[in-house]
Amino acid sequence: MSSETGTGKAGVIVAPEGADNMDKLAHSVLDDLLYNIVHDLLIKVHRDEKMARASTAAIKVEKLATDASETPDSKPDVRVETEAAIYEDGKVLLKGNPLKTTKEILCSRCHLPRLLHPTDGKGAKKPDPGVIYCKKHPYIEKPGYDIYGQTWVAPGPGRGKKKKDMVDKKLDPNDANSPAAADGGSAKDRPPNVLSFPSATCSKCKRCILVTRLNNHMGSCIGNSGRNASRAAAQKISNGGSNGGSQNNDNTPPGSQKGTPLPASRGASPRKRDVDEFDEDAEESDPSNPKKKKAKPNAPTKKVILKTKLPAKKEKVKANSMLNVETKVDDEDIKNSTVQVAPKKSAPAKGPSPSKKLKLGVNAKPPLPAAAPKKTKRDRDMESESSGTLSSPPQ
Amino acid sequence: MSARPATPASPKNVKIKAPQPGQPLYGCEHLQRLFNQDQLTTNTSIQHYKSILRSIFDTTPLIPQTSKSMESQVVTSLTPTYLCLQCPSTLSEEDRTKHGNKKSHRFYVDSRSGSLYCQMCDDIVWDPTIEELRLRKIGTGTFTTNRKRKADDLFTPDPNKDTPQFIATNTTLASCKANGLRGIYNAGATCYQNVVLQSFLHNPVLRNFYLSDGHHCEMPHCLSCAMDDMFQDFYGVENTNGYTAANILSGFWISEKKAFENLVTTKEQDAHEFFQFLAEELHERNGDGKKPEIGSEHSCNCIIHQTFYGKLQSTTTCQHCGGVTNQVQSFLDLSLPLENLAQKKGKKSGGKIPAMALQECLDEEYIKSDKCEYRCHSCNSMQQARRQTTIKRLPNVLSIQLKRFEFKQGRNERAAKIDTPVHFPLQLNMLPYTNRAKAPDGKENYELARSCTYDLLSVVVHVGEIDTGHYVSYCRVGDQWFAFNDHKVELAQKSDVLGARAYLLFYIVRSLS
Repeated sequence: MSSETGTGKAGVIVAPEGADNMDKLAHSVLDDLLYNIVHDLLIKVHRDEKMARASTAAIKVEKLATDASETPDSKPDVRVETEAAIYEDGKVLLKGNPLKTTKEILCSRCHLPRLLHPTDGKGAKKPDPGVIYCKKHPYIEKPGYDIYGQTWVAPGPGRGKKKKDMVDKKLDPNDANSPAAADGGSAKDRPPNVLSFPSATCSKCKRCILVTRLNNHMGSCIGNSGRNASRAAAQKISNGGSNGGSQNNDNTPPGSQKGTPLPASRGASPRKRDVDEFDEDAEESDPSNPKKKKAKPNAPTKKVILKTKLPAKKEKVKANSMLNVETKVDDEDIKNSTVQVAPKKSAPAKGPSPSKKLKLGVNAKPPLPAAAPKKTKRDRDMESESSGTLSSPPQ
Repeated sequence: MSARPATPASPKNVKIKAPQPGQPLYGCEHLQRLFNQDQLTTNTSIQHYKSILRSIFDTTPLIPQTSKSMESQVVTSLTPTYLCLQCPSTLSEEDRTKHGNKKSHRFYVDSRSGSLYCQMCDDIVWDPTIEELRLRKIGTGTFTTNRKRKADDLFTPDPNKDTPQFIATNTTLASCKANGLRGIYNAGATCYQNVVLQSFLHNPVLRNFYLSDGHHCEMPHCLSCAMDDMFQDFYGVENTNGYTAANILSGFWISEKKAFENLVTTKEQDAHEFFQFLAEELHERNGDGKKPEIGSEHSCNCIIHQTFYGKLQSTTTCQHCGGVTNQVQSFLDLSLPLENLAQKKGKKSGGKIPAMALQECLDEEYIKSDKCEYRCHSCNSMQQARRQTTIKRLPNVLSIQLKRFEFKQGRNERAAKIDTPVHFPLQLNMLPYTNRAKAPDGKENYELARSCTYDLLSVVVHVGEIDTGHYVSYCRVGDQWFAFNDHKVELAQKSDVLGARAYLLFYIVRSLS
């Protein structure tokens, strides 16, 4: 068949002239296989694209139909026609090829237009600022940045991860804020998409620990083993009381915490914790922050958990980051819909609430606007002290 | 279809898929006209489409790939042919137009994908009714939904809670941004946990279980609750920053099971051990309460068993009396030693060890038999025996560990890492390694092969030396691959994935997705 011509259907792999029949056959087989690969890829892309366009046409015409009818019926009894589709008797019928009639793609869930190009990196295009796009954006492909265009503080001294970094700080006792400053105090100077390490609460001692130290901490705190156990014990004995006061995520000035007498070998660690506490403040959702502060004087030695789920959703003005993931709330709180102060961090004991997770959305948190105009002066102070975990709005 | 005159035509009328919001009812205007002609046309069209799909997916490709030209010349081609929906002809792309003009047949099925081509649109059309049949054929091999899938038992619908009103009033839809793609912060040498957690997070079976409220308990510090929280946070929240797996970590430290006695604080650990620990822990929280014992058969319908556990059968044949003993044991993962094969290959090529293929390692373990000493009951004495291990039941998600370590004889007898590249496919056929590998050919075999086809889901890679290093992983979401390095998530190419020196591989059975 095609071996006579020395190539297959794609016509890309062509046998040289004067090749023998076997050679021609091999070339044409390879060429056919290449054709098949392209064919399969094309079918897949075609399917995704055409179905998305068809569904866009359907969404548009359904929207028109709902607008046209007076009753808020799911299947309005009207006839609407667009360039791409007809709505009739509750049915959507296509007109022509959606690849030709429909140019944009609407998200099938939120019905907002999809952004079709990444905003940065490879293949980036500036999005139309006048359009509200679906939040599902194309992923960014840019060296040094993640799929959302976020980046991180480069490793090195001051990052606080490596032991040697901590030693460096210890040599500079004047700079009480040094870890904080390095970790996130400079949040203002950084572009908003730079992330730093957040903190989390240890489920046993309720202390707030920088995430990079969490495993180490839990090993000694819960695991009660390992080579740090004795040091941890010694540390608890020597400064357990004074540190206890700072265990809640209050805003004791880092300098004063630093003043706590410490065994020399652990000098770096409590200072580290200072950072942690500030980190957590930044980690918690902003609406909670003022309330949290109010709550603190009342319960100074207890861990404060703020539960803002539903209210936060209503106030669209949520600031930089969400509620600390570790301070996960009970489901009942969703219904209570007010900020609660839990006296103690409870274990994730959840009631079998039926309302939960039926559509993975109950816990859904509201969008994170880039800046929170409602922020108070106090918040700003906090912000600059904190290590601004997520896209701290530039002030 | 007239081949079966004994069976009267099915009295059941074929129904067009009910209208869905946000979806047109038909693939195109022309198909709409076809389906609106009369019930008989619809019935025959759908039935013929089904039989075409059967011939594409259940028989040797020779049949759908062979077309007859206008000049009655029979041609078998490698490239797609077109099967007429309205008559039994198979046509090449060139003859398709001629056939259409002559017979006024306007719809053809592409022999490679089973998708429908409309000649009047001059385009492939994606009709909801047709597409549903096609996907079902590719997936489960059957057109009806009656056949229970392995994982279906887990999702028995609650008649009260599954009404749309109930769902609408009690849930909020997750944001379109919440897609489960987030990094996990390294909490201090916990990258071995992060890679396993990521592979769990992007495992559709586990995801569906946790997101459909599969786990309930009142236990404090329950690891399964912590997993639950994590799934909620990945798929229900708009965050794009890293996740702090504090609850997992504390649950892990608090866990009574001291499978991790040696796992203290800052030490780097083995991701495979953590995978085993996590799987067993989650089994205990969700399962029948029995401890999964290594070396025995354990059937449990918990989510972990439904996801990861399969069964191995070792057959020992006595070389003296020919007596056969079968032993069945459950497995969480397949551990493939590389050491022997690497040495064997190294000897052949003289020193430098060439790259190996995953299938070679599987061949070594599950096709070849080995000799062993064994106490035969019928002979009542120690005898030489042949032992062969095959897979009796394949899991929904197949996890494979490539044992990248060997114990060097000599001075310190310390373990060394085998860095030999092992090629692994995106698509893995496990049929040869099952105990049904020698089943008769024919239609059943195509179905069997389909049920044994696995797609690569995630890859865990260890970088560095045996006792220190870093774990990174790749996970697939849809058709896109992502590289996870603690809190960093980046796009990955298939070539990055396939070029990685895998340590753990997770494959998901195709008929599930």
